[in-house]
Amino acid sequence: MDWLEEELRQALERKDPPPDFAARVAHATRVDSAAGSGRVVRVWPRWLPVAAAVLLMAGGAAYREHRGRVAKERVMVAMRITADQLNHIQARVREAKP
Amino acid sequence: MIGLEREEQTGIDFADLVREHQSMVFSLSYHFLHDRELAEEVAQEVFLGLHRHMGDIKSGEHAVFWLRKVAAQRSIDAARRRKRRPQVALEEVAEPAARAAVYDPLLGELLRRLVGTLPETPRMVMVMRYQEDLAPAEIAALLEMPIATVKSHLQRSLALLREKLERRGVGGY
Repeated sequence: MDWLEEELRQALERKDPPPDFAARVAHATRVDSAAGSGRVVRVWPRWLPVAAAVLLMAGGAAYREHRGRVAKERVMVAMRITADQLNHIQARVREAKP
Repeated sequence: MIGLEREEQTGIDFADLVREHQSMVFSLSYHFLHDRELAEEVAQEVFLGLHRHMGDIKSGEHAVFWLRKVAAQRSIDAARRRKRRPQVALEEVAEPAARAAVYDPLLGELLRRLVGTLPETPRMVMVMRYQEDLAPAEIAALLEMPIATVKSHLQRSLALLREKLERRGVGGY
């Protein structure tokens, strides 16, 4: 080993951390353990995805039915308006005849 | 409670590991980062990590390997987060007038700072080699790189340090 390596060995020798280092580590581990044991782990029930899927399907069906009802009502209203207008035109045609 | 259960499983006392290896972990980080406060933070993180992994630790030797490996990783991460080189420029470091036969603290400080200017990987290789007196094969295992790469980092770093020292009129004895 040459002089540089020997100097490096001395320059990079171990140094002590502050005297309270071990106590601070002990405190940090206690806090960490307390946080770990107090952690709330949320476990979802197994039936929840099935229930969600059923709800979605039922909701979808109900929505489709509702949209069908609304469309039917619109068609009926349109037909009523058209019939009224036709009756009105027919009446005017009748009146116009001598 | 968790710590006690782990210690019962492994037969290794966590507090003993901290007492025994705090200088090693702190110094690895300190010589790499050249920042006492940050090195303390990193060393504390490393021991906290060890506490969480006590169940995986098989022996005292395994604990030392684990501590060195994680200290190296965490120090490199901290240096990347900090994203700046050592705060004192090399030009500001007092130059030793001549190399004394006994250990010269000024030369020691200059060497620490010169090591601090090396890129991350060779710097960690140098710290492990000269602080921990580890063989290239041990460093290769810790840093997960080929032995040839470790040897190459050592040779190149030594050549670079020698060159910088000679430029400052130190060396050649």
